[in-house]
Amino acid sequence: MKKIAVILVLFISGCSQSQENKEKAKIPVIGFLDFLQDETLSQAKKGFFDALNDSGYRENDQTVHIIYRNAQNDQPTLVQACDYLISQNPVLIATCPTLSTITAVKRTQSIPLFMMVSPRPDLMKLTNEFGRGPRNLFGTFETLEYIDTAVAMIKTVLPGAKKVGTIFNQSEPQSVDALNRVQKACEQLGLQLEKLPVSNSNEAQLVVEALLRKKIDAFFALPDNTVFSGMEVIVKSCDRASVPVFTSEEGLVKRGALAAFGADMYQWGYQSGAQAAKFLRSQTTEGLSPQQVTVRKRVYNSEKAKQFGLAFDSTFTSVK
Amino acid sequence: MNFYLTAVLLGLGFASLALGIFISMRIFNIPDITTDGSFTFGGAITAILLVNHVSLPVIFLAAFFGGAATGAITGFIHTKLKVNALLSGILVMTALYSINLAVMQRSNIPLMEVSSVFSSFKLFQNELTQQFFVLIIFVILIWQLISWMLKTDFGLAMRATGNNESMIRALGVNSNRMKIIGLGLANGLTALSGFLITQIQGFADINMGIGIVILGLGSVMIGEIFSKTFRIRSIAIQLAFVIAGSIVFRLLLAFALSIGIDAIYLKLVVALFVLTIVSIPNLKLSRD
Repeated sequence: MKKIAVILVLFISGCSQSQENKEKAKIPVIGFLDFLQDETLSQAKKGFFDALNDSGYRENDQTVHIIYRNAQNDQPTLVQACDYLISQNPVLIATCPTLSTITAVKRTQSIPLFMMVSPRPDLMKLTNEFGRGPRNLFGTFETLEYIDTAVAMIKTVLPGAKKVGTIFNQSEPQSVDALNRVQKACEQLGLQLEKLPVSNSNEAQLVVEALLRKKIDAFFALPDNTVFSGMEVIVKSCDRASVPVFTSEEGLVKRGALAAFGADMYQWGYQSGAQAAKFLRSQTTEGLSPQQVTVRKRVYNSEKAKQFGLAFDSTFTSVK
Repeated sequence: MNFYLTAVLLGLGFASLALGIFISMRIFNIPDITTDGSFTFGGAITAILLVNHVSLPVIFLAAFFGGAATGAITGFIHTKLKVNALLSGILVMTALYSINLAVMQRSNIPLMEVSSVFSSFKLFQNELTQQFFVLIIFVILIWQLISWMLKTDFGLAMRATGNNESMIRALGVNSNRMKIIGLGLANGLTALSGFLITQIQGFADINMGIGIVILGLGSVMIGEIFSKTFRIRSIAIQLAFVIAGSIVFRLLLAFALSIGIDAIYLKLVVALFVLTIVSIPNLKLSRD
């Protein structure tokens, strides 16, 4: 019993300690709610904090206090991590990606939320019957427009392509929405789309191999969490079959895709961060609203281009 | 302290799941993997019916019997088709992934501007107090009901099936039927957790059940350690400890989150906390 008592005392002192921290800090607290860790999402996070940095809000200068919590891909943890951030009375919470945004929207109606790597509120079904999104939701969203251009790019780079393969994640609404858009874009361009579902990155390799057996000319990697987590294995399989990978995110090109058109994750986070900085300066959300991503670009991987013997014109930027 | 209160709320939300796991463990002595699917199934049914403005009592029953049906199917596959119990659970859980997607039509349903079990009868202004009150009543009811049920002749036969199947068969009890009913009940309770958690967090998601069986098992084990330490025989108090185990689990995670551990080590630290809690009583016993 004595030991249980000791643990209890430690526990309670731990609780009260975190209270003290809060009182000591008179500087604004910023929460950042992340659902999982991967290479691409961390780009958005870096962009967000760089934007704050550039506007003069730095943790080191004691101008802001940043509390970062990552739920490590576990939903009950995400809810609790969100509750913790809210309990620290932050002036704002940044959310990345979609599930963090949805969770935060459901947990607070007052704290301004700055989302990133999330689709437009109506695509997340966060709007009411009058089409209004949550009042405290700001930041940057993406629509599905980029898909049309990204798919059209396949036709320009590989004029002979007939069959395009893709995998999509059934467990992510934006992935399914994106797939439908890809399907439409392919039909318009006279491309045949072969699609297979995956539900987590462990299945990615097997499913990609199954697609490659259908003799696809190009692989289109939808930017969803499965692809973000399993990009390397997708590229490896496609490389073995000499099938180029197209996508819509620059970070994925760095990780081995041939070319992409779409939002730049770093810039996406940066745009949300700039909006958050504006809010920190003005102390009001007046005039702020969720914005569409502004920086989309065409990029290609020069190493892969050499490997496939393809040339890209000056509308594309080389990365690697 | 609102933050710790929300952790308790989640713990209460998962209490019904922990009781479900307790029952399947008692009947089978193995973890019932169906849980991962039936939890999400309960959440999926709740979300889709809530956004279609179905009344709450109907949703409650639909979630319970939906979950119970999945458990009964696992029981049927195990007892009648003679498939290994673990595999039966895995199969039903895997199949439920598709069923859940079909029920929800998409992978995530946020509950926007719909009533919930917490808003249907308003007693407190404060949202958290209201949630706490509703959850406490709910959990006490379930706890009393299950305690009573396990003390009836039927419940005793059910517990005995887990302890000694040949004996109970010799006494003329149909042990297969016991297993099917027991698993049905367990997964019905699990689905009720899905019903509650969906309304606490405000959305249902296709992945909400992943790894949830581990959570329930953890709660049951923590509860059993308490029971063993205090030499509890009463089934009602054992169940109460299981519910406490569910809350302790959430509080430990809350504590880990609040002391600001590097995100990478979060799960390691939670595991160490749980290890500490469960090993204390044994350390004490070995010294005696």
